[in-house]
Amino acid sequence: MSGRRAVIAGVATSDYPNLPGMSEHAVHAQAASRALADAGLDWSDVDGFATTGFFPMYAVGVAEYLGLRPTYFDETNAGGASFEVLVEHAAYAIERGAAEVVLVTYGSVQLSQMGRTLGTGGGGGGGRMAPGPAVYDALWGNTLVGSYALAARRHMHEFGTTTEQLASVAVTMRDHAAHNPQAQYREPITVEDVVSSRLVADPLHKLDCCVISDGGGACVVTSAERAADLPRPPVYVLGGAHATTHHMNVSADPDLTVTAAAMSGPLAFARAGITPADVDVAQIYDSFTITVVLSVEDLGFCAKGEGGAFVADGGLGLGGRLPTNTDGGGLSACHPGMRGMFLIVEAVRQLRGEGGATQVPDARIAVAHGTGGMLSTGATLVLGREAP
Amino acid sequence: MTTPGGGGQSGRWFPDEMPLPAANAETAGWWEACLSHRLVVQRCRSCGATRHPPGPLCPDCRCLESEWATLPGTGTVYSYTVVRQAFLPSLADTVPYVVAAVEPDGAGGARFVSNVVECDPEEVCVGMPVEVVWEDMGPELAVPRFRPRGTAGDEGATA
Repeated sequence: MSGRRAVIAGVATSDYPNLPGMSEHAVHAQAASRALADAGLDWSDVDGFATTGFFPMYAVGVAEYLGLRPTYFDETNAGGASFEVLVEHAAYAIERGAAEVVLVTYGSVQLSQMGRTLGTGGGGGGGRMAPGPAVYDALWGNTLVGSYALAARRHMHEFGTTTEQLASVAVTMRDHAAHNPQAQYREPITVEDVVSSRLVADPLHKLDCCVISDGGGACVVTSAERAADLPRPPVYVLGGAHATTHHMNVSADPDLTVTAAAMSGPLAFARAGITPADVDVAQIYDSFTITVVLSVEDLGFCAKGEGGAFVADGGLGLGGRLPTNTDGGGLSACHPGMRGMFLIVEAVRQLRGEGGATQVPDARIAVAHGTGGMLSTGATLVLGREAP
Repeated sequence: MTTPGGGGQSGRWFPDEMPLPAANAETAGWWEACLSHRLVVQRCRSCGATRHPPGPLCPDCRCLESEWATLPGTGTVYSYTVVRQAFLPSLADTVPYVVAAVEPDGAGGARFVSNVVECDPEEVCVGMPVEVVWEDMGPELAVPRFRPRGTAGDEGATA
């Protein structure tokens, strides 16, 4: 490891969750401006840029919109896990000396553009021809929710996980969202509320599914040296790793109950020189309740098969074994499609002690773990308050 | 009993407006077998590993040569979900329907995402024995679906 250490010097979220008057690019711009201001840096300091989206040369296009001419850019697309990958890459670039200040942004107006039924879509936007990557699922009427439901059902079969245990994830996220004034839903819910909400695809109910939002975020990655005289306490990128098991067809998923987190987690922890027991606070992608159960197992916070019990006994709550998604998560606060950036922003805020009512006391090490596609990708980022 | 490959008459369960496959050089063989009501899986000519969806390269040994192995048409439900929300307007009368990950017998662990039809969705369970039934969606497309094994005779598929 070189002498240069990568840190996150600034973070921000855009306005969310409902931005009918904003374009996608405007969300990037708002989040970027705020993150740079948070870092005490100017646009002219930025020499690296990273983002991703769903048209070719996306990062190049957003860079142009933002008036950037970066000499480092990256648009690795890992679905919802993309931003953990982009920050990991940015850290390598900083440590290698290939960039001084990398701006990483995310923006989406999915809610305003596409409406509230996106998650039940077949992936083809309702068109007649099935989309290339997902053709072997969509032809049989499988949906995005259906793919996660298949994993949930198999987990229930193999390990005895219950719908009530899954529901408890949504309940805990809502508890946290109650403290987040921007959260899309803040009214407390119970396990009974979740399991009695409409079934979308068995065993997943409406309240087992993330919300659909507009919003975005940004962070600024630079070197510890550059951050030394900046206003915010630096947050160190201690380690990161990412992995993939398959693309968009569940039929190609080698094991529905094991995600790419089983690869990315141990690698990231080893690179950071920590174990799961060292983690004070976690931000774990919660596209669906089952996603969190699978992730806490695969990241090693509990044994495979014990995720249901782990989440049901308050493990994810404030004061629990692994306080998780302290902003309310994608299940309650905001999910604009690729939520990974929000995980990083909230992890940094926790490590700076800016968590407000959901602050985990003396949080020193945080994990942001993204999941993308149809449980296709996993990306783990370990962040710390102190230099390694 | 079904014939090898699950040949038999076609029933109708899903609307004409379902998404169509965009078959290419790698997947055409699978769809051509379907058209003759033969359930097949792609098998590596070198190491014998099976894979689905079809692709050009064996993910185990990276051999480029493969063949289509005819399956008996039976299998078990590995996992399933009941889709209750129509993602196409034309599915409004079809929901609720079962989407299942099926492990076909003889497919070497490869799984097909398909449907379980001809039964109450509430009766489907993990491990349920199933057999293929064919749905002719048009003159150039037949789609394999599955029904519980032993609960309906061959004639049931024509209903």
